[in-house]
Amino acid sequence: MKSEARLFKSLADETRLKILWLLMEKEELCVCDIMGVLGITQSKASRHLRYLYHLGWVNDRREGVWMNYRLSVAPGSPEDKQLKLLADILGSRPEAQALKDRLEQWLSAKIETTEAKDSAAAACKCS
Amino acid sequence: MTYLFKRIYRRIMRAEARFFKSLADETRLKILWLLSGVEELCVCDVVGALGITQSKASRHLRYLFNLGWVTDRREGMLMNYRLCVPPGSPGEKQLKLLAEIFAPHPEAQALRARLQDWLEKKRQAKVKDAAANPVDGSIRSSAY
Repeated sequence: MKSEARLFKSLADETRLKILWLLMEKEELCVCDIMGVLGITQSKASRHLRYLYHLGWVNDRREGVWMNYRLSVAPGSPEDKQLKLLADILGSRPEAQALKDRLEQWLSAKIETTEAKDSAAAACKCS
Repeated sequence: MTYLFKRIYRRIMRAEARFFKSLADETRLKILWLLSGVEELCVCDVVGALGITQSKASRHLRYLFNLGWVTDRREGMLMNYRLCVPPGSPGEKQLKLLAEIFAPHPEAQALRARLQDWLEKKRQAKVKDAAANPVDGSIRSSAY
C-alpha cells in the first residue's frame, strides 16, 4: 500500500492540486502559464510539475526554451478515477471556478501579445 | 497579479490538500481499509492486525478523528473507532474509490484476513476467560 500512500502524497499539496485542476481544463499548458495564473516563481512551478511527472500524472514536451505539460493518466486507471473525483470535489467550489476564469484571461492576454509581436515583426519586414 | 488576489487565492485548495494528506500515509490507509470492512474496531485490534505499537495506532486514529474520518466511543480503558463519513460526501466517495483500488490488491486482502484471525483469537480468549472465572470474567469483560 506504499504506492497508494505515495499517490495521495502527490495530491497533498495546494500548488499541485491547482496545477492538476488547471490541466484538467486545458489540454496542454506551458510552465509560464502555470507561473502566470498561480502567481508563483518558475522554480516552484517547475519543481511541482517535475514531481507530478515522476509520479506519472503528466507528460512533458519541449518547445524551445519552455516545457509543456499535459495529463497522462490512462482512462479507467485508479489515477483517472481519482482525478474525476477531484474534479467532482472542486467543481462545487467557487474559488476553484475563479481560478479557471483566471486561466482563460491569462491565455487570451498571451494570444494578444503574441499577435501584437507578430504584426510588429511583419511591419518591420515590409519597411 | 495583485496583492489581494494572492491573499484570497493562496488558500483555495488548502482544505483539499489537508484531506489528501490524511491519506498520504501507509498506516492510515491500512486503518481506513480495515475499518471499511467492519463496523467498529478497538485500538488493540488495530495494534494486533497491523503489528504496530499502541502509541502509533492511537496517534494515527486521533489524526483520522480530527479530520472527521472516524468517531470514537470509550469503553472502559480502551477507545473504539468507527467510520463516520456522511453518504454522498467527498470522504465517502473517496473511501469507495479506495475500496475499489484495494479490492484486487493481495496485500490488502491479506491484511483483512489477519484482522479476522485476530478477532477470532480475541473472541476465543474471552470465552476461555469467562469459563475459567465466571464472576471475575464478567467484571473483566465490562472493564475492557
